[in-house]
Amino acid sequence: MLVPASLDELLASVAADTRADLIAGGTDLMVEVNFGRRSPESVISVALVPELKSWYRSGDEVILNAALTYSEMMRPPLCELLPALAQAARTVGSPQIRNAGTIGGNLATASPAGDTLPVLAALEATVVLESAEGGRAVPVGEFIVSVKRTSLAPGEIIRSVRVPARRAAQEFLKVGTRNAMVIAVCSVALVADAERREVHLGLGSVGPVPLRAPRAEELATSLFDWDEGVPRASEKELARLAELASEAARPIDDHRSTARYRRHAVGVCARRAFERARLPDATGRRSVTP
Amino acid sequence: MASSVTLLGHAVERSEDPPLLTGSARFVADLDRPGMLHAVFVRSQVAHGLLRSVEVAEAAAMPGVVAVFTASDLPLADLPEWPRGEPPRAELGRPCLARERVRFVGEAVAVVVGSTLSAAVDAAEAVTVDIEPLPTVLDPLDALAERAPLLFPEHGSNEVLRQLTGAAGALDGSEVVVRGHFYNQRVAPCPLEPNGAAAWPAAGGRLDCFASTQAPFRLRAAIALALGRPEETVRVVAPAVGGGFGAKGGVYPEQLVTAALAERLGQPVRFVETRSENMLAMCHGRGQVQEVALGARRDGTIVGLEATMVTEMGAYCWRGPVPFSTSRIMATGPYRIPKLSLTSIGAVTNTTPIGPYRGAGRPEATAMLERMIELLAAELDLDSVEVRRRNLLAPSEFPYAAPSGASYDSGDYSAALAKALALLGYEQVRAEQADRRQSSCATELGVGIATFVEISGSGSEYGAVRVEPGGSVVVLTGSSPHGQGLATTLTQIAAGMLKVPISTVSVVHSDTALVPRGVGTFGSRSGQLAGNAVAHAVEEVLEKARELAAVELEADPDDVVQLEDGSFAVAGVPSISLGLAELARRAGGPIGAEWDFAQESGTYPFGTHIAVVEVDTETGKVELRRLVAVDDCGRVVNPKIVAGQVHGGVAQGIAQALFEAVRYDESGNPLTTNLADYAFPSAAEMPAFELGETETPSPRNPLGMKGIGESGAVGAAAAVQNAVVDALSPYGVLHLDMPADPERVWRAVHEGRRDGQDPFSSSS
Repeated sequence: MLVPASLDELLASVAADTRADLIAGGTDLMVEVNFGRRSPESVISVALVPELKSWYRSGDEVILNAALTYSEMMRPPLCELLPALAQAARTVGSPQIRNAGTIGGNLATASPAGDTLPVLAALEATVVLESAEGGRAVPVGEFIVSVKRTSLAPGEIIRSVRVPARRAAQEFLKVGTRNAMVIAVCSVALVADAERREVHLGLGSVGPVPLRAPRAEELATSLFDWDEGVPRASEKELARLAELASEAARPIDDHRSTARYRRHAVGVCARRAFERARLPDATGRRSVTP
Repeated sequence: MASSVTLLGHAVERSEDPPLLTGSARFVADLDRPGMLHAVFVRSQVAHGLLRSVEVAEAAAMPGVVAVFTASDLPLADLPEWPRGEPPRAELGRPCLARERVRFVGEAVAVVVGSTLSAAVDAAEAVTVDIEPLPTVLDPLDALAERAPLLFPEHGSNEVLRQLTGAAGALDGSEVVVRGHFYNQRVAPCPLEPNGAAAWPAAGGRLDCFASTQAPFRLRAAIALALGRPEETVRVVAPAVGGGFGAKGGVYPEQLVTAALAERLGQPVRFVETRSENMLAMCHGRGQVQEVALGARRDGTIVGLEATMVTEMGAYCWRGPVPFSTSRIMATGPYRIPKLSLTSIGAVTNTTPIGPYRGAGRPEATAMLERMIELLAAELDLDSVEVRRRNLLAPSEFPYAAPSGASYDSGDYSAALAKALALLGYEQVRAEQADRRQSSCATELGVGIATFVEISGSGSEYGAVRVEPGGSVVVLTGSSPHGQGLATTLTQIAAGMLKVPISTVSVVHSDTALVPRGVGTFGSRSGQLAGNAVAHAVEEVLEKARELAAVELEADPDDVVQLEDGSFAVAGVPSISLGLAELARRAGGPIGAEWDFAQESGTYPFGTHIAVVEVDTETGKVELRRLVAVDDCGRVVNPKIVAGQVHGGVAQGIAQALFEAVRYDESGNPLTTNLADYAFPSAAEMPAFELGETETPSPRNPLGMKGIGESGAVGAAAAVQNAVVDALSPYGVLHLDMPADPERVWRAVHEGRRDGQDPFSSSS
């Protein structure tokens, strides 16, 4: 196991051993190892690379470095900038897991149940990759290609994630078998972007990759009162929104749930996320009444 | 300090907590010895098959590997069924290491001993087990079907237990009959500390064994038997034990193998399960299919109960007979059910063996009855509270001979029901429910009641008390407390009766070298059995002290009294008194006594639990809003300890009702082998419990105590299940099996059925 102390050192190590597994918090990798599903020949830790820690604002973007932990996502002021991400982070594991697990790890594992992934999809995040040769930026929808598969090339690492920091309403909802430490049966992230006047929906655990729901988004965008910053929809329109979100899902049956329930529940979550959405005013305060 | 007489009934702080909270308690995994070897088991990955060969050569040659054993290299007697069958049925024995056939995923096939744990883990993966798969049978009803694959061909059937109670015709004379088909699902006990054992040869040829067990004396007997040694040459110690819940009350193959390895290799050997291993190898609980009919008159008076209870045994008829027989004994619960016709069946399947788990048959019987009461109330359009009131046994009916043969000691069931309803504010909750239903709120409110009685404290237990000349008091108990707070309880009893400060009392337990005999802690027995044994021993000590004082004070023993400060004096002359320690000094040694307290027929704790749930009908998510538990466990020595037991039991009952279920795929591969997939709840799922109590002493022991270890799990599960069904009643749902997870609830909302059967029951 190598423990590089700088980004350059990390990139050199990864270039020298392209088959090595990268470990950050180990909350996914070690589960695989402990269950004997994976026996890494070599492991490179990103835990001590200072360049991968923390986050910062850059213009109208927030740069989330790859080793940003779930606990850090929950703390102000980041949780105020990206409330849906904070809500998603809150539902991950236990405090110990949230102190260890990272956004880069969640992306690299690319599990259909990855909790931050629908949020990143709804935010239209960009994943910044880096290798000894240089860097490239990939939209999150292209980064995750299928179940637990990404477009990360040999020698490449996840450097950071770029997300917009515009005035927006954000919601995250998750259905699982218990309140804490639960793997999602389905989840929904909603971003109502006040500047672009668009509603985006990210659906989790209802397909091989985090999904968007374009038709539902279109309807939600048209139903949102962008001046007042609140949703305006009839019961019938809300039902249609739920239906369109359900139609966008591509779920499977597994031991946690049936596809049928997932498809239904993701629609309910999408509708509720929309009903709850409130744009913050200039001071960041959200209006209470629709 | 407060007057010591008032110690009984006081919430004395638990002496057990500081070592646990500060991390100084030592569990099996913390025990170390020079040269400690590590045992890792190779387990079957096939649910049913013929064991063709076990290739160990490669593993044995790996670095750090000391030895690898299979059944043929380490012959040990099979584990018998418990309680022992009469006559014993050798063909149903459970091997310590599988021979010829494997019967569940997780069954130990071989054991690797390494000088390090990692060497043993690696080598265990190098053992090649060749199994010819056989057809599997997982559902107990399938197992009983004709032409089902047989786990024990020489037995000729997967039916390993059958008992008839009562006579046919229990429903004769009924004006109305309601029927139900229920599945009380299989759950995993999940103690935070999994199973583990360590053993090493000690001085004088003794074998010292440390195990995470609830019953050291039982384990000692089993080890002695397995190794063909006299019991005196085996010492069993239970160090700190991180939860047992009944699952650690029996003897496991892995414990016997660990002891055998230490003896064979002449070195210390330790074995500690991983969590995933624990989910396979530790017994599961519950797992009962119930086909029930309840007959009544139109006014709600019950006429009779007809039922078939099929209890899963898992792969072996090993400890499953405990829930099998307890659910039979408690089949008519707290109700006046004049006629019973009960068929109890035990069936083996290719799954982890079933054993006792908090409640062990009591929750199954309670859930069955409480669902039937609700179905009857719905059929008659009566409030189920009214149906309960009409059928609950009255205080004047005790002792009560139940149709199952149980003899209930004492009770005031209606008082507990009334108290729980008052604590809840039943009418207000029903009013809110009606309000919500009128306003077609997507979140429905449900109220569920469970009135129950259970059985506790059978058998006997050892206790001893010794007052040392130095003033310290040593209490010995044959019970094996592991978190319940029994040491504190016994301290209170001894200190209170001796009238000495609590700080002078120490309790010795869980070590067969320090305690002459005993049974253990399970079946809600220890408070009452160990407590009364100690109380009786204290009385003898006081009698001896009085006689000694009489000699010293030159008085008649009848004239000697114990003063409030614990010393002895001649009545009317309190100025000249002798304390217990002084008397021991003058007697030249400790004043002691021992007693085995026996209580053959047990005691019957009871109560009423009420749950209020909110059900999100769009997602199916159930939120438990309130849980009121009124328990009656007779006389209470320490209310804080009683409340702690209720809390733990209630949490596990809620867990079964809403979250937990052990699942297998169709080939018998377990799907819930970690706590991510097995929905073990956390504090975040629990409301603050609202507790109340009534106190009806038991006439069956001098202290008037009954058990409280299991009541929480007995009542709460049924109350929560009833609450969920109640919330869904506007959707035509009359029954829903547990757990009420979001998908099951959502489907019920959409597909509600009116025939008292779970809409998704696999065996419908």
